[in-house]
Amino acid sequence: MGFLQELFKFVGLEGRLRLEWISSAEATKFVKVVTEFTEQIRNLGPSPLAKGSAQPLEDLELPPLPQAAAGGGCGCAQTGT
Amino acid sequence: MPEMQETVREWLDTGKVDLFLGYKQVEGHPLPYAFNRDNLEELQDLTVSEARYPLEKLGAGILAVQPELKIGILGRDCNRRALNVLAVHQQITPGQMEILEVKCCPSPLRKHADCSSLEPRTYGSVKLEVGIDNSMPTARMEQFDQQTRFDKWLYEFQKCLKCYGCRDICPVCFCKECSLEHADLVETGGVPPEVPLFHLIRAVHMAGRCIDCGLCEDACPVDIPLRLLYRKVNEIVKDLFGYETGLSLEQPPLSILGEGASGVTDSHRAAV
Repeated sequence: MGFLQELFKFVGLEGRLRLEWISSAEATKFVKVVTEFTEQIRNLGPSPLAKGSAQPLEDLELPPLPQAAAGGGCGCAQTGT
Repeated sequence: MPEMQETVREWLDTGKVDLFLGYKQVEGHPLPYAFNRDNLEELQDLTVSEARYPLEKLGAGILAVQPELKIGILGRDCNRRALNVLAVHQQITPGQMEILEVKCCPSPLRKHADCSSLEPRTYGSVKLEVGIDNSMPTARMEQFDQQTRFDKWLYEFQKCLKCYGCRDICPVCFCKECSLEHADLVETGGVPPEVPLFHLIRAVHMAGRCIDCGLCEDACPVDIPLRLLYRKVNEIVKDLFGYETGLSLEQPPLSILGEGASGVTDSHRAAV
């Protein structure tokens, strides 16, 4: 779990993964953890990976091309591929 | 080069190895080739160059069919690490393959390295701005804020053509059934493959396995910084479990199951 959390952090998805061991006798702990985590996720907002919300490659805002490259070349830089 | 050809000849002659996997110069191209006792005269075409193929993977494939063979391979430090990982995962028995080592790492005496992946490539301005400079250290990547990190990886992952080049070239990818082709895990029939799931699945499987040879990144037609990703994965493994992949024949922490597994301490359990 520690491993996955670190990996998620590296790709910018931190805070969305949590593991807690809760016994069936620990009802209050269960409530506390679920409330806490729900609140945390709500603050993070909808998942950036939800269907349709991921920004398609074509819509990415590209930085202006450097002057030297803008005039010539194969044109592949303009399409951002 | 003649010295190396002599060494290989000697290895084959004395029976130290039955096959030698190296590179043969064919019409100007170095191609992977199996030299054996019946074609000793072909050794004059044995060559060392920047070209790299996972020879140890090819060797393991041959050994799976003919385990009695002894195989020599032309290799570098990364090949040695790969052999350790293959032995750890019981794909080969230690000692079945012998490495004839060629230099790879740059040193004060040797500025130019044979290893193609050691020379950082130059990338276009768009990739540098929106995406990731593949030669970036993991610590640099971590300095970006969460949104930037996410956008940069998404930009890189969305270029994926799902060619499976990274998996096919990988010297330590040997599973007969691959999670990346499992319809229940990764949606089929679309390009790019499920982002970022496809790449994260592979990243998780590289934990305690990737030997940082850089072949995946060399093979990737769209320059996804796979090496950076897997390097981070193994940094995590090292930080959490103190395990350094490929340096020993010790079992990696993530393939140890159950309470009684040897080598797992309480601090490991806490980390998992």
